[in-house]
Amino acid sequence: MTQLTSIPQAIIAPELSWVGLALLLPLLAAVGCALCCALRVKGKAAAIITILALAASFGIIVKAYFAYTGPVQVPIFQWLSFQWGTGQFQSFTANCGMYIDTLTLYWMLFVTGLGTLISIYASEYMEGDCGAGYSRFFFGICIFLFSMSALVLGDNLIMLYLGWEGVGLASYLLIGYDYARPAAVAAGKKAFIMNRIGDLGLALGIFMLWANYGTVQYSELFAAMNKGGQTSVDWELSVIPFLLMLGAFGKSAQIPLFTWLPDAMEGPTPVSALIHAATMVTAGVYLIARMYPFFELHPQALATVAWVGGLTALLAATIGMAQYDIKRVFAYSTISQLGYMFLGLGVGTTFGACYHTLTHAFFKALLFLTAGAIMHGFAGQLDLRKLSGLRLLPGWRIVSWTMLVGCLWLSAFPYTAAFFSKDAILLKALTSVRADFRFLGWLGLFTAALTAYYTFRVWFRVCAGPLHFEPGAEGHHEPHDDTHDKHDTHGKPAPASAAKSTHAFHPHAPRWAINGVLLILALGALVVGIPGYNETFAHKDNWAQQMIAGSSAMEGAGLAEDHGAEVSEAHPTVLGMDAHTGLTVVGCTASIGGILVAWYLHLRSRKSADQLRAALLRRWWIRWVPICMENKWYVDEIYHACFRLPMWLGAQILSFGDRHFLDGVMVDGLAKLPIAVGKLFKPLYGGALQGYAATMAGGIALVVAWLSWVWLRGFN
Amino acid sequence: MLLIWTSILFPIVAAFAVAIGPTKSAKWTAFAGTLASLGALTIFAWNFPAWHNAEHFPKTTGPSWIPHAGITFSVGFDTVSLLLALLSAFLMPLCIVGSFSAITERTKEYYGWFLVLGSSIILAFAARDAILFYIGYEFTLVPMTLIIAIYGGTERRVAAVKMFLYTFLGSMFMLATLIYIGWEHRLAVGAWDFDIDTLTKTATRLPSSTQYWVFAAFMVGFAVKVPLFPLHTWLPLAHDQAPTAGSVILASAMLKLGTYGNYRFALPMAPAGGADLMSFVAVLAIIAIIYASLICWVQTDAKKLIAYSSVAHLGLCMLGLFALNPVGAEGAVFYMVNHGLSTGALFLCIGMFYERYHTKDTDVVGGLAKRMPVWASFMVLFTLASIGLPGLNGFVGEFLCLGGTFISEHDGQTGYPGVLGPWYAVVAGLGLIFAAMYLLILLGKLVWGPLREPHDDAAHATSAIRLPQDLCFREIAILTPLAVACIWLGFQPKPMLDAIAPCAERMLANYPKEVERYMSQSAGTPLASINGKTSESRGE
Repeated sequence: MTQLTSIPQAIIAPELSWVGLALLLPLLAAVGCALCCALRVKGKAAAIITILALAASFGIIVKAYFAYTGPVQVPIFQWLSFQWGTGQFQSFTANCGMYIDTLTLYWMLFVTGLGTLISIYASEYMEGDCGAGYSRFFFGICIFLFSMSALVLGDNLIMLYLGWEGVGLASYLLIGYDYARPAAVAAGKKAFIMNRIGDLGLALGIFMLWANYGTVQYSELFAAMNKGGQTSVDWELSVIPFLLMLGAFGKSAQIPLFTWLPDAMEGPTPVSALIHAATMVTAGVYLIARMYPFFELHPQALATVAWVGGLTALLAATIGMAQYDIKRVFAYSTISQLGYMFLGLGVGTTFGACYHTLTHAFFKALLFLTAGAIMHGFAGQLDLRKLSGLRLLPGWRIVSWTMLVGCLWLSAFPYTAAFFSKDAILLKALTSVRADFRFLGWLGLFTAALTAYYTFRVWFRVCAGPLHFEPGAEGHHEPHDDTHDKHDTHGKPAPASAAKSTHAFHPHAPRWAINGVLLILALGALVVGIPGYNETFAHKDNWAQQMIAGSSAMEGAGLAEDHGAEVSEAHPTVLGMDAHTGLTVVGCTASIGGILVAWYLHLRSRKSADQLRAALLRRWWIRWVPICMENKWYVDEIYHACFRLPMWLGAQILSFGDRHFLDGVMVDGLAKLPIAVGKLFKPLYGGALQGYAATMAGGIALVVAWLSWVWLRGFN
Repeated sequence: MLLIWTSILFPIVAAFAVAIGPTKSAKWTAFAGTLASLGALTIFAWNFPAWHNAEHFPKTTGPSWIPHAGITFSVGFDTVSLLLALLSAFLMPLCIVGSFSAITERTKEYYGWFLVLGSSIILAFAARDAILFYIGYEFTLVPMTLIIAIYGGTERRVAAVKMFLYTFLGSMFMLATLIYIGWEHRLAVGAWDFDIDTLTKTATRLPSSTQYWVFAAFMVGFAVKVPLFPLHTWLPLAHDQAPTAGSVILASAMLKLGTYGNYRFALPMAPAGGADLMSFVAVLAIIAIIYASLICWVQTDAKKLIAYSSVAHLGLCMLGLFALNPVGAEGAVFYMVNHGLSTGALFLCIGMFYERYHTKDTDVVGGLAKRMPVWASFMVLFTLASIGLPGLNGFVGEFLCLGGTFISEHDGQTGYPGVLGPWYAVVAGLGLIFAAMYLLILLGKLVWGPLREPHDDAAHATSAIRLPQDLCFREIAILTPLAVACIWLGFQPKPMLDAIAPCAERMLANYPKEVERYMSQSAGTPLASINGKTSESRGE
């Protein structure tokens, strides 16, 4: 059933080893930051090292992009490899090397670019921690960039795994950056462990590939795929996509492993922007795009991806609608948008998924950074009910308007970049021959309306309306101490905020680094729309499409084409109109409709939002909806009850059993046996002569008995 | 040869010097002794001709000791034993320096016995004569028992006696088996000989049913030492009660004698038995991984947690070894060395904070990143190495052990058939998740979070040496080499893997044949028929 693909064959090009600097520089910068840490440098040296290294590695990638001629494989050094025979399955090769094709460059461009911008932003954002955790923070960022580069650039799946776990580590260290807060520590731990569950799937998938293809190198795997060597698909092959998928779901926060991402917002905001919105969480998308040919090993594999993506998008959007913490809203929107990407991968448009990854990286980083600027200026205040009309406050205009850009993009406002990328995904879904994909497409459209609503709920609340604000509880001018509270996520007033607001509170407006980065990102969000404009208006090829088409993620795979493509491709329609026009109409309606509802409920008459909520809560048949949405559908609680609690109880029982049964009864009991035997015979050794005589007689009797038994058996 | 004896005997000489010398200089004498031993071994390793070529293993014969019984003083290394001996010799001086502030009473005996311990461990790894190995193997128990019984915690007597009796009982089986094989050799040739290579040749000629029992008896002996579930209960207690340096040597070097015994004796001497019992041992190893990991999860005592984690990690090591293919075997040997480094370092770290707070209870002490940032950095690094983060040393061994287990069913392709396969790897792989859970919980309590300290100034006052709040130079100097080794081996495992490869293949020489035999023999039983069927379809 496996159809022949024609992935361009990579040539070995050691002369391109200078691209390896993109890996080496962040690592060196990490060492530099560690030194700053060890020497307790008070200044911003760590930030400067980081920014320079990351900018240089961005420059290298740009240079590589312009020097690109075709897929290449660049060996660097031997890492994990040995062989014990000459056969195909008698060696294991996972060297440190790079596989550079257009997909690699596409990913690396925005990873290193955004990495540089966000470290510039962070150099100002984190300055309150100078001399305390400043260098440690940038150490984490460097480790992250190194790992992410290894993940994307590596020429085999073990390198990918190295990067995969490395970004998990960076995420762990940075979420728990403010380690004195138990919530931050718990969130970091949760992120790492939930990712590890996915990682196990990835590792097993790698083993399965290795066991069946005898290699983990991309070039050889793709060559095997080109040959189409597998005539029959047995269970071992068909399980590969599902194992890889599990890894992707963990890293990209999809059902069932999504609950770590909202908690990850405990980390500093630049981290949320870089790692938990723009780059790391797209690693799952990268993995599936990279290994796309292998997802056809089972006919339902891509359909599973599509369903998981579609449902995650909807679930996360419903939760996002009911959160009050700005960062949490954005976190759920990230999960939801990642769901779209998986939907795109699943319905067969890797281009749509990857293009959405790119546009999302820009506008979501922008949104998080504006949220960070607000948090930074208002002492940690993030409750959207306690901030209003910031666009009227001097010094906050750039933040307000760039946030508007981000919100428009997130809600896929007509003719923004995200509009094009989201349309590419939904178009593919709606014109699919599979009814369930068309259903997912409509679900995606409904989710788009919800997205527009919750996004503008934030903007209309925070930036529009009359000026009013309450500062947060975080005294971030003082050094961080043990006592400060965790950010309040459910909107209950933080205890210290009342006291703080009696003092004259002056929100301090962001300076050049933050504002500059926000402007660049807003500009970037505009720029990444250009391929979409070109495609729609100038009917030129989409740049992103070209990039994807030159790699292993190329389309022409996918399920729609597999089953009678000619039927639907002729005249795909949406609501009786031409598919493109129909989708534009419906998409615009969804987006603008959502914005209008948000405008009415959260700007025009803010009371009505509360009234609506109260009205819903009064009716028993509908009250579960807002309650479940506000409580994140109790997924955490369900996991706790179904997995953690039984396992914990089991562990307690085992621990008790180990000490008191296995050691106490079995081992000590056995040890007591000789003593007991000794006690039994003790009377015989009381000193009385009869006793000894009896013992002797008994002994002789035993020996005689044994000898006669042996004799009877015939000495065998 | 001379260098090997130097590295074995120098600590003994130093031990005498400690015994007759003044108390004050005892620690420095001990340090010099271990350093000399390490130096001699390093020079030997530097000039070792057989790093990359198994054919060049020096043929060793030693002076005769008991000629009638064919026992000789022959010592020599292959790369695996050399790596393990280097590991032990490397840890010895670090442990001695680590004890400077912890051991303040009866120092002379302590350092003396510690030197004897180091010497006997190196002897066990170096021995090419089975009886000499047994002597080294068994003699490690004496100093270790004394170190635990004299310098340990409140339940030290019980722990020491239990450790001694338990492992002693186990090694009796091993000794009996060795003598039995020597006897078989005598029956065949007419003279006793205990040279390991000779014994191996003799033993592999025995009928399969005999090899089964030979293997089983070896396993009993070595499984106690590894320790393999359910024979592990002496270990947590011994670790809990031992002084820091004792724990380090116990976990890093002495437990390796168990896995090394499997590598050197059980597996190559009785391949038929190994093939028969492969899945049995693998199941025990997997139980050990899951069982110990879950227990780790609810431990509040930091040291016990690390001790149970050793049980889990060595379970994975045994699983890799019993995958019976080069991937698993190389992974297992690599893991032996690296478990020694990272777990040893973790015990040292825990000892360092124990010296400051006099408790290991993670419910009482915590959030030490604030108080001891340098210590916290090291602790985080070693914990991550222990979790098996790629780029650090733990990953390589773990990944290869699991990978070896996974491909252990694919005969005909790898050239090494096996009966484990993906499902074993899936269940064992859960251990990776659990490892992240319990170790990060430990980090979360001990290193991160709000600062929690017991207000126990009295305890501070009684300790003879006042330590600074964070690590002092001496302590940093102990941990730095370990940290460098952890990072270096994570990024550059290739030289060591290359060195292990020929040994691993030699150990497995008889296995493809024997496993085939086992699989065809047991084709009748229902479970084996599944394995057999998959293997047939693969082979075609």
